[in-house]
Amino acid sequence: MSHVITKQALQATLAERVNQGHEIVGPVQLTPGLYIYQQLASPEQLALDGYIRPRNSIKDYFFPRHEVLFSYRVSAHDVELRDPEMHEQPRIFVGARPCDAAALPILDHVFNWDVRDASYNRYRESTTVVSLACTTHDAECFCTTVGLGPASDKGSDAMLLPLGGDTYEVRSFTEKGHALFDGRVEVSDRIAEIGAGPERKVDLESVAAFVKDHFEHAIWNETSLRCLSCGACAYTCPTCHCFDLVDEGNALGGCRVRNWDSCQFCQFTAHASGHNPRSNQSQRQRQRVFHKFHMYPERFGEFLCTGCGNCTRNCPAGLGILGTLQQLQRPAING
Amino acid sequence: MEGLYKPELMRVVQVRQHTPDVKSVQIQFHNPERVDDFSFRVGQFGMFSVFGLGESTFNICSSSNWKGVVEFCFRRVGRVTASLWDMDEGDTIGFRGPYGNSYPMEEWEGKNLIFIGGGIAMPPIRCAIWYAIENRAKYGDITIVYGARTVRDLVYVDELDTWAKQERVRVIRCVDPGGETPEWKGEVGLIPAVVDRSKIPAANSVALVIGPPIMIKFTMPVLEKMGLAANDIYTSLENRMKCGIGKCGRCNCGPVYVCKDGPVFTWEQLSQLPPDF
Repeated sequence: MSHVITKQALQATLAERVNQGHEIVGPVQLTPGLYIYQQLASPEQLALDGYIRPRNSIKDYFFPRHEVLFSYRVSAHDVELRDPEMHEQPRIFVGARPCDAAALPILDHVFNWDVRDASYNRYRESTTVVSLACTTHDAECFCTTVGLGPASDKGSDAMLLPLGGDTYEVRSFTEKGHALFDGRVEVSDRIAEIGAGPERKVDLESVAAFVKDHFEHAIWNETSLRCLSCGACAYTCPTCHCFDLVDEGNALGGCRVRNWDSCQFCQFTAHASGHNPRSNQSQRQRQRVFHKFHMYPERFGEFLCTGCGNCTRNCPAGLGILGTLQQLQRPAING
Repeated sequence: MEGLYKPELMRVVQVRQHTPDVKSVQIQFHNPERVDDFSFRVGQFGMFSVFGLGESTFNICSSSNWKGVVEFCFRRVGRVTASLWDMDEGDTIGFRGPYGNSYPMEEWEGKNLIFIGGGIAMPPIRCAIWYAIENRAKYGDITIVYGARTVRDLVYVDELDTWAKQERVRVIRCVDPGGETPEWKGEVGLIPAVVDRSKIPAANSVALVIGPPIMIKFTMPVLEKMGLAANDIYTSLENRMKCGIGKCGRCNCGPVYVCKDGPVFTWEQLSQLPPDF
């Protein structure tokens, strides 16, 4: 026995939620072949097929690329600080690829260890995540390499699994998922058959072990020769979470904001003195791999990567973490 | 926690100029309640901000015994420090902290303390020196080796004189060759060489060494030759930071977050980290 829903019924459910004050975010087609996650103007915009995955990632809606932390106003010798208006509207993120949904429990670690990040947690609590299982993959996909797959439920409150036509099997995993779909689905005997996904592309254990013991190695230079240091990999990555804190305004008033940053930028670790521990691109590439496959697992128990392949698809120089891992596999296995 | 990145408002209460480009600033909480309930441990750092320009990271260089005040010292090199340079008593700046681990002052009780600082690294040592002097009975002999490139680059020189007058405190001042003046009565030489020839007793001692990476690199072997174990030698790292609370992903040195696991490390810990600082 299963539960199913048609796209039309799903859109009707979402429309009702919009009337109740919810915001709906999901994949939208911008131009032929270009899909992104964005707030839907209407549920009819929702695109549930025709693409491997959207160009951006789920993190845009939990860790905004630009966020006001507080505003300040200066008068003579005094300063007044004001909190920003926090996002209060409940949100349904529908159509998240499993490699996007899985990023959320991974990001929960860094935003909650020691001290909790209020803004991130507010988005987490107010969002229901409905993922969309994959029926196709491309050469860049490697979810199975990091232990996920085309129907992984990690990070999802509910999941839509394509049954063909415009019908989807619905699986609810959490209270939020049940609340969204209870009474909206039909009982059926159709069970979605989802393929195994991409083959495993890298022996990640041996690469992770290699990375740990080879901070200095000629391979790091090889992996970064073509890199432009543009940061597209980090900006479209669902798990990259580095940020900068900067002031926007003047000596009289303005605000302090949190902006996305990237370890690939040459100024990222530059000291005011001019000293820079990562002054060349090979050191910065190494940092990205090191953070994702050694440092984060060591501290939080999981890889900082969901195998979505966005870094490769969006790299103007044809790099990407999958290719880098494959390059690293050579010395990792052969010594 | 709400407002994780929102600083507390502080009033500038004292500004001192030490060199042509180094000043120290003492600040106090606007909020009178914080004057009583704020506490920190020597070795910790804070985020100091000028509104409209942003934040800079500095060690809190006052002693933790000085209630209600926070002092920091900086060289004028960037936008934030250029603006801090122009601050006068009565002006308002922002402060977040204290962050990071600290010097293990309790563990050091009963031991002789060797403090070695180069240039602008005096402030992060100064807080520990004052703390030790204010708790004089708890510590053995104190040796302070402080050097800078030239005589006019030395900071907190008046306090060096104050410390030198304390019982069982030896102060060794030095400047790089060529940095001396005709009146200079201290040592001339690079810090590792000065430490080497000063015959500092190493038995039952711990050392705190802070300075430019090159100074640290050449001082460590001297201390080890003197007989100090790698886990009795401490330093403080200063990787670039933004959040100070283990989130922004910037200050890691290998698997450690300098802002959370540091900034204070023993030489033993440091030698196990990759060269990422």
